[in-house]
Amino acid sequence: MTDDTIERGTIRVVVAKAGLDGHDRGVKIVARALRDAGVEVIYMGLHQTPEQIVQAAIQEDADAVGVSILSGAHMTPRIVELLRARGAEDMLVFGGGIIPREDIPKLKALGVAELFTPGASTGAIVEWLRSSMRASAS
Amino acid sequence: MWVVAAERQGVTHRNLDGTLQTGIFKEYIAQKEWLFPPEPHLRLIADLIEWCAAEIPRYKPLSVSGYHIREAGSTAAQELAFTLAGGFAYVELGRSRGLDVDVFAPGLSFFFDAHVDFFEEIAKFRAARRIWARWMRDVYGARTERAQWLRFHTQTAGVSLTAQQPDNNVVRTAIEALAAVLGGTNSLHTNALDEVLALPSERAARIAIRTQQVSADETGAGNVMDPLGGSWYVEALTNEMERQAEAIFERIREMGGDGTMLGGVLRGIENGWFTGEIAEAAFAYQQALEKGTKKIVGVNTAVEQDDDELEILRISAEVEREQCKVLAARRAGRDDGRVRAALAALAEAAKGDDNLIPPMLEAVRAEATLGEICGTLRDLWDEWTEAPRF
Repeated sequence: MTDDTIERGTIRVVVAKAGLDGHDRGVKIVARALRDAGVEVIYMGLHQTPEQIVQAAIQEDADAVGVSILSGAHMTPRIVELLRARGAEDMLVFGGGIIPREDIPKLKALGVAELFTPGASTGAIVEWLRSSMRASAS
Repeated sequence: MWVVAAERQGVTHRNLDGTLQTGIFKEYIAQKEWLFPPEPHLRLIADLIEWCAAEIPRYKPLSVSGYHIREAGSTAAQELAFTLAGGFAYVELGRSRGLDVDVFAPGLSFFFDAHVDFFEEIAKFRAARRIWARWMRDVYGARTERAQWLRFHTQTAGVSLTAQQPDNNVVRTAIEALAAVLGGTNSLHTNALDEVLALPSERAARIAIRTQQVSADETGAGNVMDPLGGSWYVEALTNEMERQAEAIFERIREMGGDGTMLGGVLRGIENGWFTGEIAEAAFAYQQALEKGTKKIVGVNTAVEQDDDELEILRISAEVEREQCKVLAARRAGRDDGRVRAALAALAEAAKGDDNLIPPMLEAVRAEATLGEICGTLRDLWDEWTEAPRF
């Protein structure tokens, strides 16, 4: 499969901010970059609970869930647990924000597919999502 | 709570001095820590301005903030214009209560960001003072100099710090601090080099304060007011900054439909205009970074593979447990009947037009918590939710 065969709208991603963290500059940039790359983005906005995010992801039949956290409250990936509990563990969970380097392997071990930290380019995020979708399709 | 703490220490509240942030517009526009919809929030702010002007005249109850607007991704001109538009809206709010602008305007202060584009930032600060003085005099009829002064606090740009090669953040912060000093700031906060990753460590916080002390005690940069006034470049940039801000003011006033800045600011919050403008600016900045037309050392130029490791501050979950215990003990030791009566009186006052600060102080004297006071008002006024847009 090449990039050309990933048609507009064939990847569907729910993007959200969890908790009371109001830092939404990065998440909006990422949402827009994904949309511009042809991904169907459902942006839930601020102040979402893990339950709301998982509910939306399942209802929307999303391929992936992207969560932005800049509050430091990233070490309890409840979204992964909830998806698993509802039999949707094949949905990719990825995130971004201020995540200390040593926390990244721990989060991946808990089931988070990928994390993007300050300085990550939108191009890298789009490319990661595309190649992950190709891998899961094949 | 601060006023009641003073009472308990035997200090007459009339003698208190200080500054409160309070500004709510920047919450809807940028920081996103609102509670109620804008109208009840503005009523609380007008009550606060009114109460402070009468009861604690030296106190500055409202610091109008642009910091959060800039950190959310705005340009310098947007930060300047959105913030001052908010300031004008608060002046209109005070006037709508029949307050004398010469009495309450000296209680307004401002809070700006110092980003890394050195001369642009200096021009922004200079333009802010010019615009405020002119509008206060010509549009709002301020007669005293104090009511035309724009006093401001500055914080260096958290958003300019990089996780890559974090020691370089000391250099960025020093340059930003110098821009603030040369631009005429009245007070300054310098960020710690590790704030891009966590709350600052002791060592990083010490370097941040020493940066201010080097600037204040060694460089002489703060010895004279407006040292760059008259520089052809800085004057041209200041004029340009003013021009851009005036164009934005016009747009905001038009948006309101009633000719007021307050109407325009409220409309722009409700229809997502401010957040949309900021998101556009933030996206354009990100694109410039990715194309390399905007350079950031360690991120898209002078990149190194192994960035320096930092020892960051970790906050233990124990802190939360301890705080919960303290709160439970306070609740157990108070007169619940008095708390309920005070909260009921607050709710009753909120339904009418009385100033809400006195009943709120009564609730605090009865040891009502912040959560209970907000909860009482939330039951009446509901919560604001933002329509998600990107």
